[in-house]
Amino acid sequence: MRLVAVIDAAVKKPGLEDLTMYRTTASVPFAGRYRLVDFTLSNIVNSNINAVGVFASYPFVSLLDHIGVGKNWDLDRRKDGLFFLPVSQKAGGQVTVGAFAALEEHTAFFEKSRQKYVVVTTCSTVCQIDYEEMLDAHIASGADITEAVSRDVGLNSYILAKSLLMELIQTYREKKVISVEDVVKLKKAPYSYGKYEYTGYYAIINSIESYFQASMDLLDSDKRNGLFLPGHPIYTKVKDEPPTRYLPGSQVNRSLLANGSTIEGTVENSIISRAVVIKKNSRLDHCVIMQKSVIEENCDLAYVIADKNVHIEEGVVLRGTPEKPVVLRKGERVSKEEVR
Amino acid sequence: MKRKVVAMLLAGGQGSRLKSLTHEIAKPALPFGGKYRIIDFPLSNCVNSGIHTVGVLTQYQPHVLHNYIGLGTPWDLDRRSGGVTMLTPYAGMEGIKWYDGTADAIYQNIKYLTEQDPKYVIILSGDHIYKMDYQTMLDFHIEQNAGATISVIEVPWKDASRFGIMNTDENMQIKEFVEKPAEPESNLASMGVYIFDWKKLEKYLQLDNDNKNSSHDFGKDIIPLMLEQGEKMMAYPYKGYWKDVGTVESLWEANMDLLNSNSGLNLNDPAWRIFSSNPQLPPQVIGETGYLQEALINEGCVIDGKVEKSVIFQDVEVKEGASLYECVVMSCVVVGKGAKLSRVIIEPNLEIPENFELKEQNGEIVLLTQDIIDEWKGSAGI
Repeated sequence: MRLVAVIDAAVKKPGLEDLTMYRTTASVPFAGRYRLVDFTLSNIVNSNINAVGVFASYPFVSLLDHIGVGKNWDLDRRKDGLFFLPVSQKAGGQVTVGAFAALEEHTAFFEKSRQKYVVVTTCSTVCQIDYEEMLDAHIASGADITEAVSRDVGLNSYILAKSLLMELIQTYREKKVISVEDVVKLKKAPYSYGKYEYTGYYAIINSIESYFQASMDLLDSDKRNGLFLPGHPIYTKVKDEPPTRYLPGSQVNRSLLANGSTIEGTVENSIISRAVVIKKNSRLDHCVIMQKSVIEENCDLAYVIADKNVHIEEGVVLRGTPEKPVVLRKGERVSKEEVR
Repeated sequence: MKRKVVAMLLAGGQGSRLKSLTHEIAKPALPFGGKYRIIDFPLSNCVNSGIHTVGVLTQYQPHVLHNYIGLGTPWDLDRRSGGVTMLTPYAGMEGIKWYDGTADAIYQNIKYLTEQDPKYVIILSGDHIYKMDYQTMLDFHIEQNAGATISVIEVPWKDASRFGIMNTDENMQIKEFVEKPAEPESNLASMGVYIFDWKKLEKYLQLDNDNKNSSHDFGKDIIPLMLEQGEKMMAYPYKGYWKDVGTVESLWEANMDLLNSNSGLNLNDPAWRIFSSNPQLPPQVIGETGYLQEALINEGCVIDGKVEKSVIFQDVEVKEGASLYECVVMSCVVVGKGAKLSRVIIEPNLEIPENFELKEQNGEIVLLTQDIIDEWKGSAGI
């Protein structure tokens, strides 16, 4: 009850453009049945925070559709709960986290909240951080702003007193800073800075390569178990998909699959989302296939990321590399002729 | 609303032939199909048919069912008006009365129905697996100007003596209802789905209640009484998948039907979703040593062993070297390394020891319980 959370979903990661043409980074699908925002929101509710402001800029329809009134995170409350706070075109789209121009548009959110501290975070870091523990460390250190780090890598989560955040929002223009991340990076005077060392699994997703690597990490049981901790569930918008069906002839190894899919082909080292169809004699290796995509017969795909509703026609062969996976955009239809 | 329908879902069944599976839960709460409970089917049928007022009548071991249904959120039945209402036996001025028969259960809730003020009442059973549009049946009921309409399905002649059988004329008007006839004249079995005009049903419930010799059962008492009084009773022919999962064997069969694309039971139809509560679990993991052949697997599972022709509920672990053949594995089971099971239903939450072996006995499906595991451990000196 000491913390209010700010999720900066208005921040843009230029490297992820292929997946963020029609959505925010926060609503990029990840780990088969989730969106990136699920990890952030779940960390927040697992840290007993129940006042959350989601700052989002266009195109946020998929994000709004996904989180709704926050019911799946138990954030549909009479008191506190989830607030969806749209950010104008001119204030959104910054590359650093916690842009004051965006926060400034919703100061009422902070004024209404009764909590003394704020955690400012974003969705491009996937981890299992405990913000209550981080707040204890922040208070104990006496620092003005505490940043979560893993060794020397910043995880884009910051805790500070709400009064300080309000002060920064009012004075950022004269101080010549643009965001909370910027203040911390510049170590702006007269504030003092602390670090909170996070030791668990994390992945920073800011490019197609890092997205692909983080997806493949999930196939490593140690890393996966570091993200899906017992007692720290990751909540998401539930769908009423039936269990996944493996038909005669299917062959699946070392893969992660969500519900509602029908598998008739061969799947190895891959992440398969909900309601995907993989027909017979098709072979997938090191692929990430998102919701409702269909792979027809006799396809051979390696190192491919297929966004939602991609339709790969019969006999298509596509080969990417770990550094440069082939990315198929949402709703794309791929035929054998096109690939040639 | 001239067509207002209230569904009354009879969910008090014990299901004694399901052995220990229903010792602590009512039959409608029985897990099925990797993620569902049987009651998901009639509840989803209701909402998919546009019926949003449902009374669920419970009596036997109601806790799991009540907790499961809650406010009815998974079925969109958490509504300001109508929605789902749990109807349990209650104490009144005359003392405490248990539900004594299916008709008595409805009779005791006349007050609920009067408050809802429907034009039609549909009586459903909480222990059948099928997908059915009740509106089409209601259209038939209205069109035929029937006093009651009973949904029927053709069953194999050899099985007909296990069901309530309707003898009808060529227009599907019911001439006679015979409960489990030794020599059936027809193979049209009642599916336990009845539509009544509410005012008419109320009258016959009252008459039946006044009859001290009645067993207060829809099939045995209400239907014959209405026929006797000359009401027009219609049989509504249903064609599609329907299964009464009354035994361990039939529960197993219905699960296996999900693996067969030609069984007529398709859960992947977005136009007729079966809604259920969705636990928040990570995707299923198929490990490097995992091998799957014809399987239905739910989220939260980790499969490192061999799974053939089996249905696996959420949060199950199948360890390396273990093998399952034609099994139904309920939630939170751990199948130990090297364990081998064939044609077995595994109860929830069991930890199956390494190298444990069990298969069907004399052609019958076995239900694996903690007792069997303890006995095996004893004989193996573990």
